Order: sequence, then structure tokens, then C-alpha cells
Amino acid sequence: MKKRQWTGLWITLLAVVMVLSACGGKSTSTNDSSATEGTGSGSASTTLTIAAATDIESFDPHNNNNTSSEAVLVNVFDYLIKNDSEQKKVAGLATSWDQVDDTTWRFKLREGVTFHNGDPFTSADVKYTLERVAKDETLKQNSYFKNIVEVKAVDDYTVDIITDGPDPLLLNRLSKMGAGILPAKYIADNGFDAFLKQPVGTGPYKFSKWTKDDRVELVKNENYFDGEPKWNEVVFRVIPEASTRVSELLAGGVDVASSIPSTDIARIEGEADKKIVKAPIQRVLQLIFRQTEGSITADPKVREAIDLAIDKQGIVDSIAGGAGIVTRTSVTPGNFGADPSLYKTSLYDQEKAKQLLQEAGYAEGEAEMTISVSAQYKEQAEVVAAMLEQAGFKINLDVLEASAFSERYSSKSFKEIFMIGIGNSLFDASNNYNRYMLEEAKGESDYNNPEVEKLLQSALVNMDPASREKEYQHVQQIFSEERPAVYLYQMEGVYGTNAKVNFAPRSDEMFYADEITPVAQ
Amino acid sequence: MGKYVLKSLLQIIPVLFIVSLIVFILVRVTGDPVALMLPETATAEDRAVLTQALGLDQPLYTQYVKFLGSAIQGDFGQSFRYNQPALELVLERLPASFELAVAAMFFAVLMAVPLGVISAVKRNTFTDLIISGISVIGKAMPNFWMGIMLILLFSVMLGVLPVSGRGGLSHLILPAFTLGVGLAAQMTRLIRSSMLEILNQDYIRTARSKGLGRMVVIVKHAFRNGLIPVVTIMSLQFTSLIGGTLITETVFSWPGLGQLLVVAVNTHDMAIVQAAVFVIAVIVVVTNILTDVAYRLLDPRIKYD
Repeated sequence: MKKRQWTGLWITLLAVVMVLSACGGKSTSTNDSSATEGTGSGSASTTLTIAAATDIESFDPHNNNNTSSEAVLVNVFDYLIKNDSEQKKVAGLATSWDQVDDTTWRFKLREGVTFHNGDPFTSADVKYTLERVAKDETLKQNSYFKNIVEVKAVDDYTVDIITDGPDPLLLNRLSKMGAGILPAKYIADNGFDAFLKQPVGTGPYKFSKWTKDDRVELVKNENYFDGEPKWNEVVFRVIPEASTRVSELLAGGVDVASSIPSTDIARIEGEADKKIVKAPIQRVLQLIFRQTEGSITADPKVREAIDLAIDKQGIVDSIAGGAGIVTRTSVTPGNFGADPSLYKTSLYDQEKAKQLLQEAGYAEGEAEMTISVSAQYKEQAEVVAAMLEQAGFKINLDVLEASAFSERYSSKSFKEIFMIGIGNSLFDASNNYNRYMLEEAKGESDYNNPEVEKLLQSALVNMDPASREKEYQHVQQIFSEERPAVYLYQMEGVYGTNAKVNFAPRSDEMFYADEITPVAQ
Repeated sequence: MGKYVLKSLLQIIPVLFIVSLIVFILVRVTGDPVALMLPETATAEDRAVLTQALGLDQPLYTQYVKFLGSAIQGDFGQSFRYNQPALELVLERLPASFELAVAAMFFAVLMAVPLGVISAVKRNTFTDLIISGISVIGKAMPNFWMGIMLILLFSVMLGVLPVSGRGGLSHLILPAFTLGVGLAAQMTRLIRSSMLEILNQDYIRTARSKGLGRMVVIVKHAFRNGLIPVVTIMSLQFTSLIGGTLITETVFSWPGLGQLLVVAVNTHDMAIVQAAVFVIAVIVVVTNILTDVAYRLLDPRIKYD
């Protein structure tokens, strides 16, 4: 009996040893490769490593909906039109474009471009790509492209894009995620699943390897149409935990780390060979009011009092670590329709706020309201609530977990106020203002101003940029008086970099690897 | 014996059925995946279209019957985020979590065995007190905090180990140590008490009175027998290591099951949550059966009916 007992024990131990030696053996082999791929000083100029908080969703540019995915995919897939770092439209795979009539745009395509597998890029690829994203309703980018009715291949290097009505935003759509050009023939021959495993684009970097929630590895495309790319290899690491991301930067494991928490800024700046770089991003933190009749926030005096009671610069300095720009409009510079007179400015007057609240007929603590906010902006909301209470409001703070917030948001069931950071991937005022159009506002803000409605409806189909810009600027002036929302600040992206690279962050949060350059040593 | 195994295997079915039902309901009452998938500027119409395309407009029981029907065939649906079969994604991650769990177990044994034996042999001395103190601290220290501290010390300050990610053996050391410490503390206490009991047994006294050296008695006679409960706890803890690596994997960006699950919960990727919980449940149930069978082999006096 004793013997059997021992046999069992030894088998168990043996199994443990075997498993351990198995992973030991495998590890040593990968260890060698990681030594060469690392960003050690010897190979620093050939490999760029960037750390982000979230992984890409897939290599399907049509079925992604987060900025960090696009930030990676722009290196693999090209758009017909690109945004330069100032959000001006420049040639990408299209060399020129003209409006034929209200609903038709003609694009001349670049000749001699090849996909990573060697297939030539032609109008058939454009037709396949854009019609796919425009017609398949299950794709996450479909809502941005569904107004494209047809893409006509005029010849191999000319296409006509036809929309269901005048669409002043077509160029904006074609220069964002969802318009990444896919290889029609490669997908037809191999199927979409094969494409996802071995994606092929026309971009400066080719797919090499993707280990989910760990890293995406790209290698240089020697045949890139716009000249040879700068890095031999670009690695995007996924490091969700902020303190780990900061540690990777400090330990030299990554060259650029995004989303640095405000509490770590000083620590990184204190290191000799590390830098903090900041840039405004397309996200404005704001309070949106319910103006339904009977709601306390339907009273313009109350909304003005709320605006005046909040010290926006104070929130930027205390909570955001200085990474924010106060604004009285959500259409910030770089977006079509911006009104610069309302930017980099804010109102703050606690005394006047108290007085306005009294004029509106509320004694101290009588003006009671609920502010709903997603947990990610909890701290900002707490400060806002404290400032409002100081001015005589009574605030119920309703902090929701992200998916609960999303659900309440889409079912339009917030009470008086909700606090949200709204981005703008189209770089156009319409993205900020469509929610205030009658149909969309119904049940959410219940904002209703016939003059604004007229301006917004017209701007939606106005093909003359000059008058369209005026329309949006006019809306902004009205909004700054009526305050359907109070804007707190435009957020800034905070990145840490090592001194070996030059990196100027973009307002669209993209990482174009070739815009990041090694510092000459 | 064969009957016992058969019976246990049959018991898996209702267990997994209940697990699937609970997860299915929890996942659906906690939020709306459609809202998370679409941009903030999407219209009500966009939402309706997507809801219908995903089959989320159907009544709950219809969705569940459909889910169960495909789950039996190994199809847990498509991940919203990755747009790939959920089970495939979960199984892809198992090796990474398994590697981490085995390494953590290795660390735990490496630390606990000598400490446990020493503190039993030197019971009620200053050494014993120190070891007990360390194991209390080890058990009480949050994984999260310890992981960050280890990174700061070994990666940022000393620069000897990588901060995060999965790569060579060097990548494994810090997370495995972090995960193994709590288990080591528990095992140290267990080995100590089991050794103490054995050291008081008659056969130990007999061995000593035969004139055998103290070390020989401890190593050859007492220690071997003292290990048996350790093997037991190892098998039990292994399942909790597989399922419970969430925090450690997140701190070290270890691309395992735990991290997948955390991201899936955050992004409301229902199919992945369902598949992951299901797979963990299967591992737990199967390991428990194997442990019972191992007991039976080790000690024929134990009977199962």
C-alpha cells in the first residue's frame, strides 16, 4: 500500500517538473528573439515601441470603433484622403478630387501602388471597400458611411462616389477609420477570415504578428509609395494598467506611452532621459442639461448660474494635472465650423451665480438636481458638485459604471444633468450639434429652438463651405447664450516618451509611425 | 471506482447548466452592449438596426435556448469586440494562464517547503516566529500592490527584469512570484502543522532511538510524509490559480484568460464572458474529480459510493 502511495506522489511531481521544463524550453527560445526585438540602445533606431491602454479590436478597419484601434491601423491601411497633423485634407491613395454635382464626387487614384501581397491597387478595391462598409449594417463603422449609395469605377484609376443626398462631410468620412482601403482580390480569393489572420493593406507598415492583449508587431513595407518608412519594426504594446505603463517607460521597455495619469507627470519629468508631451485631443468634457418642461434646468437662469458657479480652470489644474484647455464651445480649433472667440476662455463668478439662483426663485439648497456621470470622470464630477453646492445648489451625484452609463445614455433616461466627454472623429461641427436637432433631442435634452433647427438642417446639406461654416458659428453664439450644455474643458492627451524619439502628439490621437522620428545621436 | 468516475461525470451536466444560466442572465441584466459598440453620435435607428442584427431584440428565453443549443456544439457566439468565435479566443488564452499558474505553484513550493519544515523543526523559537510573521504578511499583502512594488524594485530601479508582457522566462518571474506568495504563505502554515504532527509520531521516535541522525530523520522520514497534504492543496489551489489570475495578469499585462475576462467585462463582450466562465467552470469540476480519484489511488481506505 505504501508503495502505491509513493508512486502516485512521484507521478504528480514528475508531471509538474515536465510542465515546468516544457515552458522553460519554450521560453528560452522566445527569449532570444525578444532580446533582438527589444528597444535596447543598440537597435533603438530600428524598432519603435508604443504602449497603449487598449488593444485593437481586429484588423478589419470597418468593424472597429475605438481610437486606439485606428491609431494602429493607419500604419497598415491607407485612406483615399489623409488628414495632416493640422487636420487639413491631403492626398492619400487619391491624388485629386472634384465635386461633379451635389451627390457625386470624382476621385483620381494614385497609380503604381501595390498592396503588401503584391496586388496592384485599383478602383475595384475602392468600390469593394466603400460599398462593404456602406451596406453591411452589422459593421461598427456603417453609421458613418451608409449614405454612400454607390461607388462607380469609371476606369482603373478613377472612381465616382455617389451619396443619397448632398453630403458636405464626405471628405471627412473618407479620411477616417472605416475608409481604410482593403484588397478586393485578396479577400475574394482567400475569404475574409484569412484576411483577418494575415491582413494586407497599402500602408507603410506590413502586418507581422498580433498577440491579443499583448502586442501588435508591424514591419517596414519596402515598396511604400511615399518613400521608405523610417523604422524597421513598429511594436504596439497593450498595457492596460497605467502604473505598469509608466514603469515600462521608466525602465526603457517602450519609447512612447500614452494616457499618462496626471499623478505620474512629475515623476516622468523628473527623469533625465524622459519627457512628457501633451496635445489637445478631440474630446470636450461637458454637462448636458434636460430642458423638458418642469425640469429645473429648463430655466435659463439656472443654467447660467451653473456655468458661473464652476471654476473650469481650477478643475483643469487640480484634477487633470494641467492637461486641459478651457472652452465655451465644443467645436474646438481644427474642426470645421469652429468659432475661435469662444475657445481658451471660460466664465466663473460664484457671487453672480448665487444671485442668479435667487432671481430664479430658489433659496439656498432648494435647487436640487442629479448629475449622472460615468466612473471615469468621477473626480471631475465630485469637484463640480462641490462647486455647485457652494453656490447654493443641492446636488445628487450619480456615478455609474461605464456600461451602465452607456445604457442610460442610449435609452435617454438621465435626469437633470449628465456629464460626458464627447469626441469628434469627423472633425466637423455637425458631430457636436446633431444631438440638438429636434428629432435627436427628443427625450434627451428636449432642446427646442426653431432658429437653431433651421441652421443645423441647412448645414447638414450645405455644399458651400463658407456659408456652412457661418451657420455653425452662428449656432455656437446662440449656444453660448442659451447654454444647452456647459463646457468644462477640452482634454489633452498626455504621453511620456524617452529622449531617443521625437514625438509630437496629434489631436486625432493617431500614431503615424513615420511622424515619430529617432533623435540623431 | 469506474462507477464513481461515471457518476461524477454525469454530475457535471447539471452544474454546467446552472452556471450557463446564471452567467447568461447576469450578463444581460448589467448593460447594453449595443450602446458600447456604437459611437456616441449614433442615432436611435442605428441602435435598433444593430440590436436586431445581434438578435438582442428577441425575448430572453428565446435568446437563452438559442445560446444553449449552440453552446452544446461548442459555439458560444461571436465576440463583439474581436468579431471571432468566443470559445476560440478563450482557449487561445489558456496556455498563458496555465503557464503562469504552474510557475506560481513552483514558486510557492520552492518557498513553502523549506520555510515550513524549518519552522516545524525549530518550533516556538525566534526563527519560527519570523517565518510565521512572514507568512502572515505574505497572505495579507494585496497582489495588486505587491506586483507594482516588485516592478518598481526589480524593473525600474534595478533594471534586471522586464516590466510586463509575456516573453521569455524572465517575463514569468515577477508575475509568478506575485501570484505564488499568497499560496506559499498558506502552504508554509500547512507544512508546519503537518510536520509537527509527524515529528511526534512513534516511528520518528523509533528512528531517532535507532541512532539515526537528526537531519536524516527529518528529511527521509518526516518530510516525505509531510508532503502528502501539500500535494492535496496544490491540486485544489491550481484551479483557483487558473481562474483567479485576473489582478496579477492585469498588473503585468499578461495576455491570459484573466486579462481577457477583465477586458470583456469592461467592454461588455457577452460571448467572451460566457465562454470564459464556462471554461473555468469545466476546469474546476474536472480538477475536483481528478483530485478525488487521486485520493482514492493514494489511500485505498477512502471509499466513494
